[in-house]
Amino acid sequence: MSDGSGAGNGRLIQVDDITRVFHVGGEEVRALRGVTFGISRGEWVAIIGQSGSGKSTMMNVLGCLDTPTSGRYMLNGKDVSRMSDDELAVIRNVEIGFIFQTFQLLPKETALANVELPLVYRGMAAKERRERAKAALDKVQLTHRMHHRPNELSGGQRQRVAIARALVSEPSMLLADEPTGNLDSATGEEIVRLFEQLHKAGHTLVLVTHEPKLAARCPRAIRLSDGSIVADGSGREVAMAVAGPMVAGV
Amino acid sequence: MRAFLDNLRLALGTFLGNPLRSLLTLLGIVIGVATVITMMGLIEGLRTKVNKDLGRLGAHTFQLTKWPAGGFGRFNWAKFAKRPNIDMEDVHAIEMLCPSVGVVAPSDDAGGQKVSTASAETRPSVRIIGASTTYPITSGVSVQSGRYFNEVEGLDGRSVVLLGVDVADSLFPGIDPVGFEVRIQNRPFRVIGVLQRRGSFLGMVSMDNQAIIPLRVYQQMYGKEWSLAVDIQAKDPSLFRKAQDEVTTLMRRRRNVDPDQPNDFEIHTNESVTASFNQLSQVITIAGIGVCLLSLVVGGIGILNIMLVSVMERTREIGVRKALGAKRRRILGQFATEAVLLALFGGGLGVGLGFGLVFLGDWMVGFPMSVPPWAVGLALSMSCGVGLLFGIYPAARAAKLDPVEAMRNE
Repeated sequence: MSDGSGAGNGRLIQVDDITRVFHVGGEEVRALRGVTFGISRGEWVAIIGQSGSGKSTMMNVLGCLDTPTSGRYMLNGKDVSRMSDDELAVIRNVEIGFIFQTFQLLPKETALANVELPLVYRGMAAKERRERAKAALDKVQLTHRMHHRPNELSGGQRQRVAIARALVSEPSMLLADEPTGNLDSATGEEIVRLFEQLHKAGHTLVLVTHEPKLAARCPRAIRLSDGSIVADGSGREVAMAVAGPMVAGV
Repeated sequence: MRAFLDNLRLALGTFLGNPLRSLLTLLGIVIGVATVITMMGLIEGLRTKVNKDLGRLGAHTFQLTKWPAGGFGRFNWAKFAKRPNIDMEDVHAIEMLCPSVGVVAPSDDAGGQKVSTASAETRPSVRIIGASTTYPITSGVSVQSGRYFNEVEGLDGRSVVLLGVDVADSLFPGIDPVGFEVRIQNRPFRVIGVLQRRGSFLGMVSMDNQAIIPLRVYQQMYGKEWSLAVDIQAKDPSLFRKAQDEVTTLMRRRRNVDPDQPNDFEIHTNESVTASFNQLSQVITIAGIGVCLLSLVVGGIGILNIMLVSVMERTREIGVRKALGAKRRRILGQFATEAVLLALFGGGLGVGLGFGLVFLGDWMVGFPMSVPPWAVGLALSMSCGVGLLFGIYPAARAAKLDPVEAMRNE
């Protein structure tokens, strides 16, 4: 297991003893129970777990879409665990590039306008953001489809638009939630290759998935179960421990 | 500014995306604004016309009467009826004792009269005016053909008459009536002139359906028990106030009015006559704004409803926008801009419709209407206000949405 003690100063992400408690119908649900780990710049990490393991809650906390009940979350040197809604909005805009399972593109906007969106909230001038959006679409080889709306694109193309949108603001990390979950295996493979390229280019990637096969492709995987970390090691090892060598595709 | 422009672009996109829904939503605002524009057009037109028609008194002329002007307010007519009449003795006293007064022109009139010839007769709607020889100086009437009666005819009470154009046309179609004989109340009159066309008062009552006879003859026919209306012109515009003061003092003295009592007669100037109309027009303006406000509230509820639907439909979009870095106030601004733009568009349509109705009214009934620019400004500002007022709640709801929950929305 790698060191998750929080000793790593200068790490991009440092999560210390994070808990998240929900109150549902008068009952207390402990989704995260004292989770601690760190992620360095340039790492590609999968957070893997079964349904109900707390991985989605972990993803929301890491993405600054939710705040922990207790514990500390340092992102790029900033304590984001007690920030206000608007402060978190700025952090999301600057530090995080989201890639969602269901793409979450605005259906009435073109691919280009969708990619521009994070820059709109950064207050960037229209001309500059258009240029940057075009460059981001070029990285995912979709410049030829930039004036198409999401319903005119295939699933793989939509996810590439979403990746371009995540890349456009040059965030500290890309946070992907089941990025291949809605794609057929060939298109999924295409997207994973794109992630490999981005990793090689120095991007920090955090993938939240329930697929051991995908986790096996990551250099590092953290496995969650019942809101706690049960494994933290190389992607291959963690995936194999979950599903065996065949299922993990290793 | 950039955020505002982005919000404006988004709002326009939404608006154009659902044009029919947007238009139906705006109906209340359109009707409200059209109402206020039309009413303001009507009032402003009426005001211009009243000022023009009532402003027949010259720059330094005023009128002395027993009765107050207008009839727009609630008058205690019984109280005014008890006032002493203004008679020829008063007129002579003014002529003699008010040094600043130049011209005094007493008159009286009777409506609903018939004028006839041996072969034709008008309807019983002619106004017969008994006037002095000075009447043309103060009243603005002028003679189209023939002449006005002279001093001798006036003092002697000769049976001469000047016909208004309408009367002349109905009794003598195509002929100059000068020299012919007409009958008023069975008394024969020789036509000595036809008056210049004057048009209608407020676009409704013809001012050419009248006939002028010497006041002395008039009083022989209709009696002397009626109070006279006396037009009084100051010798010089600079003496206008002084002449009024002299007449007021003289009349109070002649009628023995105690110093602590108000006048028992009226002095009208152009200002005092139009003031009573303005009082009425204010009441109509307030009523118009009331109707407009009511429609705007109805329109506002439409906007509230459609914005709530819009927020519900676009919950997921709001979630995505927030996830990508939109702050609360940005989402608030986006939806508030949308509501205001919607309302403003409704206001614009209402202004257009209002102008259309004003134009139609002008064309159909020949009533002069003009919309004051401030009414357009007021209507559009009120639309904006309604959009903001009723759009802020849905916008606040959108801004408060939790991004995770919102993105899960199907």
